[in-house]
Amino acid sequence: MPMLYIHQTSCISPQATLGEGDISILHQAVNQQLRVIEPAYKGIPPGVLRKMSKSVRMGMGAALPLMDQLNNINGIIIGTANAGMEDCFLFLKQLVEYEEGQLTPGNFVQSTPNALAAQLAMLTGNNGYNITHVHLGLAFENALIDAAMRLKEYPGHRYLLGALDDISSYNYVLNVLAGWYKQENFLMEQLYTLQTPGSIAGEGAAMFLVNGEKENALAQVKAIHTVHSTREGEVQQQLQHFLEQHLQPGENIDVLISGENGDCRLQKYYDGCTALLPAATSVVRFKHMCGEYPTASAMALWLACYILQQKLLPHHVISNHFPSEKCRHILLYNNHKGMQHGFLLVGAVD
Amino acid sequence: MGVISAIGDTVAKNRVSLTDSSCGIGRLQLFNSNYAGQRPCGEIKTPTEILRSRLNVVTPGITRTTLLGLHAMEEAIQDAQLTTAELASSHTALITGSTVGGMCLTDEFYQDVNDKEGGSEYIDSYDCASMALYLQQQFGIAGIINTINTACSSSANAILYGARLIKNGLAKRAIVGGADSLAKFTINGFNALHILSPEICRPFDEHRRGLNLGEGAAFLVLEKEEEVKDKKHYGVLSGYGNTNDAYHPSSLSEQGTGPYLSMKGALEMAGLAPADIGFINAHGTGTENNDLVESRAMKQLFEVPPPFASTKGNTGHTLGAAGAIEAVYSLLNLRHQEIYAGLHCSRPITETGLLPVTAFKKLPLQHVMSNSFGFGGNCTSLIFSNS
Repeated sequence: MPMLYIHQTSCISPQATLGEGDISILHQAVNQQLRVIEPAYKGIPPGVLRKMSKSVRMGMGAALPLMDQLNNINGIIIGTANAGMEDCFLFLKQLVEYEEGQLTPGNFVQSTPNALAAQLAMLTGNNGYNITHVHLGLAFENALIDAAMRLKEYPGHRYLLGALDDISSYNYVLNVLAGWYKQENFLMEQLYTLQTPGSIAGEGAAMFLVNGEKENALAQVKAIHTVHSTREGEVQQQLQHFLEQHLQPGENIDVLISGENGDCRLQKYYDGCTALLPAATSVVRFKHMCGEYPTASAMALWLACYILQQKLLPHHVISNHFPSEKCRHILLYNNHKGMQHGFLLVGAVD
Repeated sequence: MGVISAIGDTVAKNRVSLTDSSCGIGRLQLFNSNYAGQRPCGEIKTPTEILRSRLNVVTPGITRTTLLGLHAMEEAIQDAQLTTAELASSHTALITGSTVGGMCLTDEFYQDVNDKEGGSEYIDSYDCASMALYLQQQFGIAGIINTINTACSSSANAILYGARLIKNGLAKRAIVGGADSLAKFTINGFNALHILSPEICRPFDEHRRGLNLGEGAAFLVLEKEEEVKDKKHYGVLSGYGNTNDAYHPSSLSEQGTGPYLSMKGALEMAGLAPADIGFINAHGTGTENNDLVESRAMKQLFEVPPPFASTKGNTGHTLGAAGAIEAVYSLLNLRHQEIYAGLHCSRPITETGLLPVTAFKKLPLQHVMSNSFGFGGNCTSLIFSNS
């Protein structure tokens, strides 16, 4: 019993993922940050656009291509760890600089992570279910669980499911201080070979139109499981159980989309995952495209849908080889800071 | 259930304050802000360091928000008599709501972001999810863990998310709630919006002048009906509605579409008629906009609304914790068959003529509704019923 079907996708990332973009040309990081390519935001009045924070703008940009479908959705379900943080910091700056004096509230209002879900509801006049999950590295996974539950509770409903995170001075500096980014300069192709601690800062927004209807769907999400643990043995054991539970006898994972991010300290979790899969499994990596951020797994789900549409994958994402046969089952494994782990089983639609 | 607020650090003490019509709002004593003398707040008069030692927390980087959360969660666990094994079970979920999260440490945060080396013990603590991550580790909870931020309806949504995990077979029990502590960030933010009252807030009064911020935390243990058996329990979550007002980032629409629809949705799910609701714990922040719009929406749905009041006159507005704290109060309404006075209100809003309950009284109750509305138009209504 699939959890949900994906009918449309849209993704803003540091690569040309939006619309008919060509992802074979790899855009490199600038100042050790992979920042998104922002679109023209057609349809958003300039006055409204100017007031939006970058995170809301990115989320809107990713949702715009789906806009003609958004008039008949039943709700908006968003996952984000950091949306609004730039405004949070700007307000804080006012607060400190003016010593709690007369402050302007604009940044304060924009600083709440639910600003995107709110803005989307306002733009589409949607009074339906509206929620923002902010559970750091599992914010998108929880949003996905939520969407699947809603579809089970209300068969026939349709939802906009999405995730976004932007690089803000807040999270960038804190992550630099905590040693989560590599200090050296390098080309994105080298991300997985340096074998040093840290990854590359990234950002992105991905949106999915989901419902319970199989017809014309691009992909189905068959199962999801989340783990909070730092012990690689436990993570591996839970993954094994997940695969046994959700793969029928004779079924195999054709492609693993791995959240490897070049941080040598986290490699053990990913190695533990590949060790459970047959050697013939294709391994696809994506963090050299979008960098590391808490909801990067939404970019991975976008990539899974891309693969299932049988588009050719550029060489830079393929770690070993790519299946010559049609791909049926894709496993997504991502972890955030070695602490939060998400497994997602995505399947082709017959 | 467990709760800590400006009117008490246990469920029992909160109930005594509610029945006595005690107000926990006043001049800031512990919290350092320029507004200390000008903007009353619902402050918990226990210093952070005392909380830390009382809870035996030695881990560095634990914020006041998380300590309040831990305080309420420990009481809830004890009240529900959950065993260590039950807590660590993969069938146990933990869902929290918070708006400020670790940002209560406004000054430390600012310094860390401007730091070029080192950083404080709090660099991992500013995130909204830091409380849930700490509580998960503390109790080894192995089920689904989540943090929700829909501004002031965050923990009301945490409650319905936990209930839905149980309903969908993804958990057997869910520990749900939220916490927020006072922060320069929110004091200055609401002040800049001109909705912080210079006097003690007067929810639903014609001459109300805004809200008072508060701080606190509450957690509730939800269990599947089959798991409850003869265990002590307070009531049933029989309905919930989650909607968006789709009008403005920081104020509600004139007619209160979002509030109307969330209350209506909760009634429909519970299979109840408006007349079945015996009491409403209103959102009632004391702002010009909220109280008028909420009154209009109640009138539209109920025609003649049942007795209602806002406990924010006791605790102040505890933001992300409010939904959970008021869920606890609603369950106390049901268990003790009593309703608590809405404080500081003497004159009804002229347009609606609706006056909240102004004195404590015993009242037979079968169903109680609790409202939480937040920035971004996020509206949630919960209905608790006698089992």
